[in-house]
Amino acid sequence: MLRVIGRKTSSNVMKVLWACAELGLDFEREDLGGPFGGNDSPEYLALNPNGVVPTIVDDDFVLWESNSILRYLAHEHGHGTLWPTDARTRARAERWMDWQLSVLSPALGPVFRGLVRTPEAERDMAVIGKARDAAAGAMAILDRYLGETAFVGGPEFSMGDIPVGIGTYRWFALPIEREDFPNVKRWYDALTEREGYQEHIMLPME
Amino acid sequence: MLEVLGRETSANVQKVRWLCEEIGLPYEHTNLGGPFGGTDTPEYLALNPNKRVPTIIDDGYVLWESNACVQYLASIHAEGSWWPTDAKIRGSAQRWMDFALGTLAPAHGPVFSGLIRTAPEKRNADAIAAGRDNFSAQLAIMDRYLGESEYIAGPDITMGDIGPAPFVYRWFNMPIEREDYPNLKRWYDSMAARPVFKKIVIDIGLQ
Repeated sequence: MLRVIGRKTSSNVMKVLWACAELGLDFEREDLGGPFGGNDSPEYLALNPNGVVPTIVDDDFVLWESNSILRYLAHEHGHGTLWPTDARTRARAERWMDWQLSVLSPALGPVFRGLVRTPEAERDMAVIGKARDAAAGAMAILDRYLGETAFVGGPEFSMGDIPVGIGTYRWFALPIEREDFPNVKRWYDALTEREGYQEHIMLPME
Repeated sequence: MLEVLGRETSANVQKVRWLCEEIGLPYEHTNLGGPFGGTDTPEYLALNPNKRVPTIIDDGYVLWESNACVQYLASIHAEGSWWPTDAKIRGSAQRWMDFALGTLAPAHGPVFSGLIRTAPEKRNADAIAAGRDNFSAQLAIMDRYLGESEYIAGPDITMGDIGPAPFVYRWFNMPIEREDYPNLKRWYDSMAARPVFKKIVIDIGLQ
């Protein structure tokens, strides 16, 4: 059975869990990272020299980098659903996966860590405020795009919605000021109707 | 004809041009961004609201995010070579593209922008030194991996090598202290020996 290694509170692990739910894939998950530790053990580093979560083991195939895991599982089990078979639709979806990695996550990360994983007395509100503004800038880009399309890859839900969808849950759940992004809100509301999103993403943040 | 928009000095633009020239795909290149400007115009924002380079236009189809552009072009024009058909090899190649995007490029950023794009009197030496240590730590991960694999995803070159290589060029050519990473060096030398890599990355230099 597919092994998923990584604590379920990690947004990157969540991508894999949500994808498995969408695909109806059985898996065994092992807690690792964050409060569970284990990232630095020789056993884990032999699987994943990058030392972060998640890592998957599928039979004897070891893979890390959450978006690559998502692509791999989508391709193997979700042709025509999570994995768009049309090259242009797939590239649009993958573009937003890359954008989550390069733009949204670096912007939103300091807000999440500052407000959720840092004791109130130790928070640097100037850093958090600046990061919030950057995250709002990123959401404005997404909002503009979602004005023209139902989901990020096109008219149907795909793997491309997963990484950005997890960041967007945090955008709406964090105790921050939020500009009005109607297209993001419409798309987010559609995500909240999906069982995998409810089960693995719409949880108290920790 | 395929259009590639973005200045030739951008590592992200270099990835796309490198692939195109390796597979013999004709394209029209336009320098844009950085000293060339043009990323804030309404015309460019209509193509790419993210305001960065590159953007490609393939017969009316617009795409941005450099790795997505590389994957798209490789999947259409180079399936079985640069875009591996084996799902596990492809997964490994994509993993290193994601690693380059999410880990290696941000680690190299403070060093490259500090030493190459900042006037000497305005440089923050501490930030550059800390950035160098972080960049080196990420390259140690690649070095370890390349001890077991000729190219990043196996015995053959793939799109997975394109993701990190322009940043590794910078590691070997910036005026910084370098740890000895023999596997990384062997791999980099094989990149540097490719005429297209020389033309698109090395001959452009550090700018």
